[in-house]
Amino acid sequence: MKKEKILINIEKLFDIEEYKKIGINNFLFAVDYFSIGYNSFKLDELKDLDCKKYLLINRIFNNDDVEKFKNIKEELKSFDGIIFEDIAVYNILKNSSINLIWNQTHFATNYSSINYWLNNLYSVVLSNEITKEEVSDILERVNKPVIVNVFGKNIVMYSRRKLLTNFNEHFKIENVNSVLLNESITNNKFDTFESEFGTLLFSDYFNIINYLKYFNNDNILYYLIYPKGLSIDVINNVINGDNVNKYNDGFMNKKTIYKLGEK
Amino acid sequence: MIELLSPAGDMEKLEFACLYGADAIYIGGRDYSLRANAKNFSNEEIKIAVEYVHNLGKKLYVTVNIVLHNQELDGLKEYLLYLDSIDVDGIIVSDYTIMNLHKELNLKLELHISTQASITNYETALFYKDLGAKRVVLARECSREDIKKIKEITNLDLECFIHGAMCTSISGRCVLSNYCTNRDSNRGGCAQICRWEFERIDKDGNKTTEIPFSMTPKDLNMVSNIEDMINIGVNSFKIEGRMRSIYYIATVILTYRRIIDKIVNNSLTDAYTNYCLNILNRCANRESTPQFYNKLPGKDEQYFLGRQEVSNQDFLGLVLDYKDGVATIEQRNYFKVGDIVQFFGPDTETFNYKIEEIIDENNESIDVARHPRMIVKIKINNKLNKYDMMRIKVFDF
Repeated sequence: MKKEKILINIEKLFDIEEYKKIGINNFLFAVDYFSIGYNSFKLDELKDLDCKKYLLINRIFNNDDVEKFKNIKEELKSFDGIIFEDIAVYNILKNSSINLIWNQTHFATNYSSINYWLNNLYSVVLSNEITKEEVSDILERVNKPVIVNVFGKNIVMYSRRKLLTNFNEHFKIENVNSVLLNESITNNKFDTFESEFGTLLFSDYFNIINYLKYFNNDNILYYLIYPKGLSIDVINNVINGDNVNKYNDGFMNKKTIYKLGEK
Repeated sequence: MIELLSPAGDMEKLEFACLYGADAIYIGGRDYSLRANAKNFSNEEIKIAVEYVHNLGKKLYVTVNIVLHNQELDGLKEYLLYLDSIDVDGIIVSDYTIMNLHKELNLKLELHISTQASITNYETALFYKDLGAKRVVLARECSREDIKKIKEITNLDLECFIHGAMCTSISGRCVLSNYCTNRDSNRGGCAQICRWEFERIDKDGNKTTEIPFSMTPKDLNMVSNIEDMINIGVNSFKIEGRMRSIYYIATVILTYRRIIDKIVNNSLTDAYTNYCLNILNRCANRESTPQFYNKLPGKDEQYFLGRQEVSNQDFLGLVLDYKDGVATIEQRNYFKVGDIVQFFGPDTETFNYKIEEIIDENNESIDVARHPRMIVKIKINNKLNKYDMMRIKVFDF
């Protein structure tokens, strides 16, 4: 995996220089008010950073949010691209020079729809819930390079409700905005975060770096990493191929079914 | 246009939805439809369904709303052309390939964007309008003000859910089912994991509390807001539940049919609204609220501990015939002489009745109708119609 093609989510600004030391120069930043689930920053804090800077705009907008987003349109021009969730972002910026990247979580699952978007914008982030065969097929058929999540935690659920606050209020217990939930039948663990904009559930850490050798890497624009609390040393080890068995491999070998009785 | 839109999981449910007052029906085919485990309709059955509803002057929409994987692309074009050729009125979609094909194939059926697309603002709605959408099904997270502004700016046909189960997540933004059961929620396999209980644990895996965590929402119910929704420009009033029973469909559709008609006739009263709320809550066996319409839902819009969903036994019988003061009834749940029941139907004013006598198929008087689907006769002076229903009398009207 070429380090110059790694795009990594930044949780603390002082991590940037440390990542640069290990050869990573492309960074993804969540933005105050317009992002959810990740440590976020003010645009002013980011604009003068000397690196490739992408913004993660992953909230679902209501009409007021649309107006607020339009107000920062000019400030976005100094960034190298925007990874967006709500289609409003595309509709507002489609005639600008800003590189737009479609990241409608869980929807980038077939090459036809991905190519629809690639014909209209800069790139696409593939969904995580597809097999290695599907990823491979998509990478053979895309008409522009796309972004692949290779390590981190997946967003599993995005609710507009304040699920932790509601629970804590109901049982009159101390409120917290982050808990670890365990689904005991299947032993799935979900990191759960709440903000004023809703609640996100994240999967456990996954790592598919070992599968990259099966893919057409020429059609991968970036290898995307969401460290979610892991240290730079741990990330570096993962990038270098260590601790492969410590993390699950997501849906690489897990074909989902949708009709009962299907194999 | 005000349209009452009913789900139907099979032909019988479709017929009841039409009979009980729906203006339009949405169904799923055997492929490409969420609710993959409902009975759903074969291609030939869709054709029959179209002819059936068109003969009644109603409309039929087909959900083609899964998020496609590569394997589902084969045969998709042919399926869409088929739906167009048999005069389906519209398709409800969420995948861009299908939206693109709608334009490329120059289909005459309407393009409706599914609630899976999470439309909560006017810019997103405008994007889909540019793609050829005639209608958008708004996310259930939209507030009244969101809906109003989307209508004002886009002038699209707006379809809003008014009744039924809610996702905890923004629809389309959840793959809990994929992780926990390997069933793909965006291809119709949702196992409703958000209705399960979870443990709260620390990083070492130890439980931090004995109280199970749950996030189950109560159902949606917009009885009290229908008039306001009409006034702000909602066009289609959608009921959730393609896997629900004929009793549920009949009860919910008839309730909203009468509410809409009373609003149009300016005869809706608070007492009638309250009666409807009682009937609907009882029918679903779940509490229901307006959820996001006027506020962000809080703890009172969710369920927490130990909720058991026992099946509803209210549906006692289906009227098969009425002649000379005698109703022929197909039993659906246990009832007996002396019970006070309630009859209702699309052309029957709801009335209470005390069962005086039950006659079985051998023309013998019996005390109890205990066998599922047994045919009995009951003397009733009030005129009934075929496919009226008999339920336990719980609420006065």
